[in-house]
Amino acid sequence: MRSQAMFFKARVGDKLADPVLQENLGKAKSKFVDARARAVAEYERDEGADFESLREAGRAIRNRTLANLDVWLETFEQKAGERGAQVKYARDGEEICRLVVEIARRHGVTKVVKSKSMLSEEAGLNKALAEAGIQPVETDLGEYILQINDNEPPSHIIAPAFHKSKEEVAELFTRTHGRPKKSGIEEMTREARETLRSHFLSAGMGISGGNFLIAETGSVTLVTNEGNGRMVTTMPKVHVVITGIEKVIPTLEDFATLMRLLPRSATGQHISNYVSVLTGVKRPEDLDGPEHLYFILVDNGRASLLGTEFQEMLRCIRCGACMNHCPVYQTVGGHAYGWVYPGPMGSVLTPLYTGIANALDLPHAATLCGQCSVVCPVKIPLPELLRGLREKQVDMDLRPKSERLALRLWGWVARRPSLYGLAAKLAVRYLNWLAEGRDRIPLLGIAPEWTKGRDFPAPQGRTFRELYAERRRREGR
Amino acid sequence: MRVGLFVTCLVDLMRPRIGFAALKLLEGAGCEVVVPEGQTCCGQPAYNAGDAATARGLALKVLDDFEGLDWVVAPSGSCGGQIVKAYPELLKDDPANHARALQLAARTRELTDFLVNVLKLEAVPGRFDGTVTYHDSCSGLRELGVKAQPRQLLARVPGLLLTEMGGCEECCGFGGTFSVKFGDISAQIAERKARNVQASGADAVVLGDLGCMLNIEGKLRRMGDENTRVLHVAEVLAGDA
Repeated sequence: MRSQAMFFKARVGDKLADPVLQENLGKAKSKFVDARARAVAEYERDEGADFESLREAGRAIRNRTLANLDVWLETFEQKAGERGAQVKYARDGEEICRLVVEIARRHGVTKVVKSKSMLSEEAGLNKALAEAGIQPVETDLGEYILQINDNEPPSHIIAPAFHKSKEEVAELFTRTHGRPKKSGIEEMTREARETLRSHFLSAGMGISGGNFLIAETGSVTLVTNEGNGRMVTTMPKVHVVITGIEKVIPTLEDFATLMRLLPRSATGQHISNYVSVLTGVKRPEDLDGPEHLYFILVDNGRASLLGTEFQEMLRCIRCGACMNHCPVYQTVGGHAYGWVYPGPMGSVLTPLYTGIANALDLPHAATLCGQCSVVCPVKIPLPELLRGLREKQVDMDLRPKSERLALRLWGWVARRPSLYGLAAKLAVRYLNWLAEGRDRIPLLGIAPEWTKGRDFPAPQGRTFRELYAERRRREGR
Repeated sequence: MRVGLFVTCLVDLMRPRIGFAALKLLEGAGCEVVVPEGQTCCGQPAYNAGDAATARGLALKVLDDFEGLDWVVAPSGSCGGQIVKAYPELLKDDPANHARALQLAARTRELTDFLVNVLKLEAVPGRFDGTVTYHDSCSGLRELGVKAQPRQLLARVPGLLLTEMGGCEECCGFGGTFSVKFGDISAQIAERKARNVQASGADAVVLGDLGCMLNIEGKLRRMGDENTRVLHVAEVLAGDA
C-alpha cells in the first residue's frame, strides 16, 4: 500500500469536520476503552493476579524472542517443514505479491478467500492478485465491507471498518448485493455470510495472517471472532500464511500467556470466539485441512529495527489498545494516518517502515500523554519511541529551519537568566497589551493555531520573578 | 529542611500567584524555601521537539541551580516528570552528570506529592465554598503517580466538595507544541475535556499543570462558559482561589 502519511495534517480538517465519523469514533471509543477496563478488573478479581505482572511476562516473552530472532525462525522453519509446510521469506511487499501469485499459479488458483492480514495491506496484495487475474475475496466482515466499498483502506488494525456506522453498511450492502435493505446487524451479518459462503466453497486458496508463529511446533495461531478464519484455512486445498518475521514466539506456553493479554487488550474479551492453532498440512487421518501449506515470513523493514533504539516496537502483538486509548486517534480516526497502521503504533511503524522523511507529521501528532504505553500489553514505551523519532528528524535535518532556529534561540536565552527574565517580562507586557484589559486573547498572531479553536488566557500581570524580587526587597532580604 | 521551589516557566509567565501559593504552602508547613534566582525552564519543549542538545543544556543548568538542596518541588507534574524521568535519560552518556541527574531525580517531587508523602501534611490553610472536579494531568499521573495526593489534600479543604468527572484521566489535548502544531486536533480534544468538566456540574475544575490549565480555560471561555473556574490545586489549598 502506498503511504499517504505525508498528508496527515492536510487530511485532519476533513476528518474533524465529518459528523458521521466523529459520532462513530465517539461510540467506538467508549466501547473499546470500557471493555478493556472491565476485562482487566475481572481478570484481577477472578484470577487473584495483577494485570501488570501479566504485562511484564508478555514483555519478557517478546524480548526473549527478539534477542534470538534468527534462532527461533530457524526452529520454526524446521518444525513447520517437518509437518509438510514450506517456509518462504519475503524482503518487501513486492516480493510478497510475487510469491503469492506464483503459488496461486502453481496450483491453478483463480479465486482466493482471505481472512485478515495486515501484511497483505502492507503489500497491496489484493491489487496485485487482481492484476494477475486472480480474484481476492475478503471474508472478515470488516475487510469485506471495505473491499466492496471500492477497496477502501482499513482504519483500525482489529476493527478495519471501525469508522463506519451500521446505516452506512446497510446502504452499501443494498447497493452491492441487490437485496432489500436490512437494518439489524444480525440480518446484515447473515446476508454477508450467505454471500461469502459460495466463495468459501469455490476458492482454490486461502490466505490468512498469523497472530503468532510457534517455534517449537511449527504452528501458526489465529485469534478471531467471526469463524471466517477457520473456513479460509481449512476449506481450500492451499493455505498461505503471510506474517511478519517478528511474530514468532518460542513455545505453546508462551502463547497461553500472550493469549491472556491479547483479547483483553484488544476487545476486552477474556478469550476471543475462535482460537486456532494450525499445524502442518492435512494428514490422511485428518477430516479437513489444506493439502498445501505455505508460510511467507516478511521483513519489510522489521530486521532493520533489531539492535536499534526502536527494537522494542517489534514486541507489538497488534491488539490496537494504543489507538483505542489515544486522544488523537479518537479524534481523527485511522485514515488520517495514511498507511496500514494508525494510532501510536502506526506513528512509530510508518516512518520506520516507509521512511522517516515520508512521515514527518506522525511522530509529532501525539500529545505524549502516555496512555498508550499504560495499556500496551507488552509494555512498549510508545511515547519514548515517538520522541526518539522526533530526535531522528532533528539529527537528519528534516525539521523546518525556522523551528530549529527558534528552539536554539530560546535555549540560548533560557541559559542566560537575566536576559530570559527580561524576555519574559516583555512577553507578558506584550500579551497583556493584546488582551486589552480582558482576561483572554481571542486571536494570537504568534500562535494562530492555538486561537483557532480556543482563547488564550491572558497572563496575570507581571512575572513571578518580578513579583518575588519585589517581595524580597519589601522584606528587606 | 531546605526546599528548592522550581517555579516553572509557565507559572513565572502566566500565573505567578500559583508560585506564591506553593511558597505559602511549603513555608506554612515549616520548610525553609529557596527560590533559586537563576532558574528559567526545565527544557521540556526542546526535549519533546527532538532537540536533545538544547534540552541537555537546560538540564545541566537545572542541576546547577538546584545543587545542594534537600528537595526540589514543582507545582507541575509535567516539569517534575521532565526532571525525574528525562534528565537521567538525556545525560546517560555523561557518567558524572548522570549520577547528579539521578540524585536530583530522587530529590524532586510534584507539589501535592511532596505535601502528602514527604511532609505528611494534615491541615491546609485554604477554604473553598463550592464543588470542584479534578483533572489528572498526564505527566503527573502517568510519570509520577500523582493521583490520590491532590484528592487527599482537597478533602481537607473546608467547604470543598469533590465530584469526579467522566474521563478525568484522559488527556486535555495540550501536549506542549502539539497544541500549536495541530491546533485543530488539540482544540477538539480540549472540547471533550471541557464537556466532561461541565457535565460534572462542578463550580471549578482543579488541576496541577499550567499547560492543561491554559488549554481547558481557553476552551471553556471560547465555548461561552464564563462560570466554570479553572484553578491550580496550589491556589485552592493555599486559600488564594
